[in-house]
Amino acid sequence: MEAPPVTVMPVTGGTINMMEYLLQGSVLDQSLESLLHRLRGLCDNMEPESFADHELVYLLKGQQGNPFMLRARRSLLHPTAPWHLRYLGQPEVGDKSRHALVRNCVDVAASHSLPDFLNEMGFRMDHEFVAKGQVFRKGAMKVVVSKLLRVLASGNTENTEPLSLSYLVELSVLAPAGQDTVSEDMRSFAEQLKPLVHLEKIDPKRLM
Amino acid sequence: MAKSCFLQLIAQVQEVSLDGLETYVPLLSMSQNLAKLAQRIDFNQSSDSDEDGPERESREPWGKPEPEEDEGTVKFQPSLWPWDSVRNNLRSALTEMCVLHDVLSVLKDKKYMALDPVSQDPALTKTPQVFQLISKKKSLATAAQLLLKGAEKLTKSLAENQEQRRQRDFNSELLRLRSQWKLRKVGHKILGDLSYRSAGSLFPHHGTFEVIKNTDIDLDKKVPDDYCPLNVQIPSDLEGSAYIKVSIQKQSADIGDLGTVSLFRRQPKAKPGSQMWHLKLEAAQNVLLCKEIFAQLSREAVQIKSQIPHIVVKNQIISQPFPGLQLSISLCHSTGEKKSQRASPDKSKPDDHLYVLEHNLHQLIREVHTMPHPASSPFGHKRLRLAGPMAYDKAEISSLQQSEGLLEKIIKQAKHIFLRSRTARTIDSLASRIEDPQIQAHWSNINSVYESSVKVLITSQGYEQICKSIQLQLNIGVEQIRVVHRDGRVITLSHQEQELQDFLLSQMSQHQVHAVQQLAKVMGWHVLSFSNHVGLGPIESIGNASAITVASPSGEHAISVRNGPESGCKVLVQFPRNQAKELPKSDAVQDARWTHLRGPYREVHCGRMEGRNFVYKMELLMAALSPCP
Repeated sequence: MEAPPVTVMPVTGGTINMMEYLLQGSVLDQSLESLLHRLRGLCDNMEPESFADHELVYLLKGQQGNPFMLRARRSLLHPTAPWHLRYLGQPEVGDKSRHALVRNCVDVAASHSLPDFLNEMGFRMDHEFVAKGQVFRKGAMKVVVSKLLRVLASGNTENTEPLSLSYLVELSVLAPAGQDTVSEDMRSFAEQLKPLVHLEKIDPKRLM
Repeated sequence: MAKSCFLQLIAQVQEVSLDGLETYVPLLSMSQNLAKLAQRIDFNQSSDSDEDGPERESREPWGKPEPEEDEGTVKFQPSLWPWDSVRNNLRSALTEMCVLHDVLSVLKDKKYMALDPVSQDPALTKTPQVFQLISKKKSLATAAQLLLKGAEKLTKSLAENQEQRRQRDFNSELLRLRSQWKLRKVGHKILGDLSYRSAGSLFPHHGTFEVIKNTDIDLDKKVPDDYCPLNVQIPSDLEGSAYIKVSIQKQSADIGDLGTVSLFRRQPKAKPGSQMWHLKLEAAQNVLLCKEIFAQLSREAVQIKSQIPHIVVKNQIISQPFPGLQLSISLCHSTGEKKSQRASPDKSKPDDHLYVLEHNLHQLIREVHTMPHPASSPFGHKRLRLAGPMAYDKAEISSLQQSEGLLEKIIKQAKHIFLRSRTARTIDSLASRIEDPQIQAHWSNINSVYESSVKVLITSQGYEQICKSIQLQLNIGVEQIRVVHRDGRVITLSHQEQELQDFLLSQMSQHQVHAVQQLAKVMGWHVLSFSNHVGLGPIESIGNASAITVASPSGEHAISVRNGPESGCKVLVQFPRNQAKELPKSDAVQDARWTHLRGPYREVHCGRMEGRNFVYKMELLMAALSPCP
């Protein structure tokens, strides 16, 4: 049975038309403490929350060139929490002066049968990793400081090894399309973290 | 000597003639020079100088008490050998030295001569003491000088420190400010944030204050005690102080005004260490909080549909939880220094439920955010995320989303407070009005915001142990009162006070009859019939009448009691036939023993009987009717 045709266009219309504004950076392990201190002072809510997530990336290879990618993520600390399925579109090529990476984003909560469901649909797991770190928030902005760990044996999240000696810092906002003031706020927040970590928009296409 | 000769070799110019020729002073010959120098020696200057030498320096006295014999200047005789006087002096000195040497060598043997110390003349010793005193004084004076100098230095540095601390330079003050408030630098200005946004509030007010340097200080005048080099400028609409006034009014005789309470009206007590900027910022933050609460309340007042719509007028929200009861919430914002003229009669009485209201308001404003797990999911309500996976239907989702607004909670609390106080008033008025039976209310200490409970006991004085069948547990809710009877019945009363009063009155009348029943058991009388709700006799408007008939142990007498809430109590006693005044003669009943049966009734005037309450009267009656064996 051949795979159903896959459209590359992102899902639009309806009420799920959220854009994700993203800025990324990284810090070395040694500088993590000072960054966490700074974030605790700048963000809301005194107690930062730690997380440990296991993310699986599924690809659906169609006849066309680009495979369709979906990200399924579950929490290792809260096993009963629902899975989170995410689709991220292509970054919008708007004007270059926009400070953050903007892409279409669809978030869906799913039950624990998600991997089986995706397998049945024809998706195949491309890679998986474990992310551990802390989450901060300031209003609508979310700052995630995470260490990415490689899973050595597929499915076994106990055996992991770090991918690098640094932490990934992501500043993201989910907003409806068309709000450009969001990127201004993000840029000013990133300015406040300036000497510790440089958050900038990193085009994923350029990395490949 | 050689030096002076050398100096003499350089000729001195006597005169310079007009044609430039220099005439030198003729140099002295050797002998002439020597004569000149010998002339210069003055042996009287130093007391005994045995040295030769033209230089006259101060020499230590030798201690030879013999003064020089030749005083005055030595006459210079140029014909004499110039060293003659020198030679004479040396010879005499040598002689004296030899004598001294001989004396010392004789002394050394100690055979012929000995040295004895000369006794000190007391006149001589006086002066050394004075010297000692003077020398001690001098040394003490130097020591004291040193200490004083050191002390002076210390006091100066201490005064400088204090001066510095009082002056409190701008930067150290800024550090203190930063330790308590959020500051950030924007361009040249230092801005701060006094809003509750970091605690989760979504009020659109910016809440930004500016920190400015206080430069209006006159350094010549004395620095005032409360001087602060730092000043804060708060937004103009947050100036002054504000509080929220909640009042419940009812124009009715039974309750009257339930009172007024001000919330968030702390008078900031100036702690000794706190700065003026701190008080200012705290007051501004309080104003912001009151504004936010009031904005939320007025927004809800407009949105919520209730039976009686709420009225929002400028800074006052008026709503009617119950008909006739008015709840008004107003925001009182006083700007500037002028105090409000009206005296505040509400000295914040320790009403615990209103503190709970304030605490609730604080909690409601600051929502606690939960972080999503896994971390990549968007922010949102944790339960709502389960709606998809768990396939909630519309009813479940709407129940999740429905959260009670602030105003609704306040109204509910107001209703409960009102209902509770009215219940208490009703019970108290009944207790004071009716003495028999007695009504007791035991209020429970632990209540919730929306529920209180009270246990009501109806007893007769003196017979508490016997007649305890009427015990009611009242649970006062928001709009209703739930009554749980001892026998298991559950009755729900509305907020109407009349219902509660009627109910209690009916229970009291039932109690009387129950009491007679218990009494009969104790006295040995037999209960012939008992009914809580009799269908005979006049109809009561409140509840039902109850009746009981008891017979004496011998069977000769019987007492019937009928008690109704309105009709009061009626007691009838049945006598045996042979005690009746008129005995209807009948042909059917011939035998004399039938006269022992009970026959006619006679009413008892309870009012004229002795006894402080009904049960006591009944006991007396029973006792009177059962003769001693």
